[in-house]
Amino acid sequence: MALSKELFDAILNGDAKRAHAATETALAEGAEPMQLIADSMVPAMDEVGKLFEAEEYFVPELLLAGRAMKSAMELIKPLLVASGQKMAVRVIIGTVKGDLHDIGKNIVASMLEGSGFEVIDLGADVSPEAFVAAVKERQPHIVCMSALLTVTMPAMKTTIDALSKAGVRTQVKVLLGGAPVTSQYAKEIGADGYSENANGAVGLVKSLLAVA
Amino acid sequence: MTATIEKTGSLERIIATLNHTQPDRIPIDFGGTPTTGMHVSCVAALRDYYGLEKRPVRVHEPFQMLGLLDEDLIEAMRLDVVGVFARNTMFGFPADEWKPWRLNGLDVQVARDFNTSMDSDGGTLIYPEGDTTVAPSGRMPSGGHFFDCIVRQDPIDEERLNPEDNLEEYGLISQADLDHIVRATHAAALTGRGVIATFGGTAFGDIALVPGPSLKHPRGIRDVAEWYVSTRSRQDYIHKVFERQCETAILNLEKIHAAIGNSIQAAFICGTDFGTQTSAFCSVKTFNDLYFPYYKQVNDWVHKHTQWKTFKHSCGAIFKFLPSLVEAGFDILNPVQCSAAGMDPRQLKSEFGDRLVFWGGGVDTQRVLPFGTPAEVREQVLQRCEIFSSNGGFVFNTVHNVQAATPVENIVAMLDAIHEFNGTS
Repeated sequence: MALSKELFDAILNGDAKRAHAATETALAEGAEPMQLIADSMVPAMDEVGKLFEAEEYFVPELLLAGRAMKSAMELIKPLLVASGQKMAVRVIIGTVKGDLHDIGKNIVASMLEGSGFEVIDLGADVSPEAFVAAVKERQPHIVCMSALLTVTMPAMKTTIDALSKAGVRTQVKVLLGGAPVTSQYAKEIGADGYSENANGAVGLVKSLLAVA
Repeated sequence: MTATIEKTGSLERIIATLNHTQPDRIPIDFGGTPTTGMHVSCVAALRDYYGLEKRPVRVHEPFQMLGLLDEDLIEAMRLDVVGVFARNTMFGFPADEWKPWRLNGLDVQVARDFNTSMDSDGGTLIYPEGDTTVAPSGRMPSGGHFFDCIVRQDPIDEERLNPEDNLEEYGLISQADLDHIVRATHAAALTGRGVIATFGGTAFGDIALVPGPSLKHPRGIRDVAEWYVSTRSRQDYIHKVFERQCETAILNLEKIHAAIGNSIQAAFICGTDFGTQTSAFCSVKTFNDLYFPYYKQVNDWVHKHTQWKTFKHSCGAIFKFLPSLVEAGFDILNPVQCSAAGMDPRQLKSEFGDRLVFWGGGVDTQRVLPFGTPAEVREQVLQRCEIFSSNGGFVFNTVHNVQAATPVENIVAMLDAIHEFNGTS
């Protein structure tokens, strides 16, 4: 039995210390790391997403839940690496070149990680070349790009073009997010999807890869 | 002679508008505040378009790289508002004693203490108070158009957190700052246009200011994400910061009002954003608990002692906050982001048009103005003017500053459409 109600509640309430302690306890009691993710963390982040959609949670609560989730993952990740277990889906995420805004991108990264995906965060102001290099090296299933600024949106197209030119575009699904971005824009520049918020991004990844 | 008549009418136009009576035509603002301006490259392009004297445009607000609109351009655009700004910029140095600088190949002028260096990624670093011996407080990415704050956050020790640390930049106004405001207000009033002033010090939790870009060694909670988290998890701390800030702000307003009287028509109070594109940064309850009391104190003081109207900027989907903003005493809403969820212009006007002046909302700056055709720009401007202008209560401005790389043809199409609506083509 790998369900830790304590871990679930700690993430839901954004309590990082409690999430860390609950994970330690669960692991000490013999919980399997992967099961702990599936049975406690994923449902907790799913509930966080639902509360955000219901406008009961807002940016601060998403950030707190993300921190709590990360504090649990700090204990779990080394165990997964040691046992050779891998997440089924790998996502690369970054804010595009010229744009330093990363709060929205960080929240999406947390929600994806908390939903059981492996997330490689390239940070902010990420050049098309850096996205291409990361795709070649890390072989992700998904590339997520974020832009907050009207003036940096065109870098999303530049990046997609660079992925095509490098011959890796068809290996990945490209998803976009950020305040000025729309689904129409995503279609226009040849992306595979767009989400207006972090919870939607999780659903989008699942639907694109047909993950339950 | 014509110019004199135009200018004489501007002040009356603004006063009528702010009092919700129908002016002779819609007043126009560009450059009056830090959120109703234009990127320096757009100001330069407009100067070229109107065939004005060729000279580098001054960057009067270096954080967003906003260009100063000189009198010749104000006349060419037929604007009705001029702005008064605090002596120091966001990076803590005065906007004066100009020197040349280049921004992406464009010759501009920047203030004497606008001192920069390059980082290893080709980004431009800028320094608080222009002091290059301390860590930089802002960075413009290579090829970028404006700066973002560099977060300088010491590790947070919960036991030692002291609200005073988040108040360093909110002190009593200096005589030099007051003298500057008096001079700038006097000059602005002499233009015969409406005057809006941004004194500073009354923004509670404006995320652009939280990192302390003007400070050499910021202390307290300075990380943007940490501050947002604190609005949920450290509310007592935030209240203490706001309480002290509010006390000081009112003392400063007393001094400023004693010095300038009612020479201005509006005061920019606060730029804290409560909306995102599709949601909000907090619940209405959190707004009412955490921010409302301080806004109310400031607005009540202004309304009791002055004839100024108070201006609130908040981007995003904020429809549900509007009753609280009205109750807190705000008179003017900006930027009226109609592209955000639930911000339908007709509903905004019908439900709040008798209580809030809409200063902005004239055209979308996320899609239509930068990426649309001139015909699309004209269509939206005419539509927004139609919706917002009845019974006054509308100052034309874009939704936030005109962004870099906006085609000048579209900016001109916007201005032509306003003049067409106003019958002053």
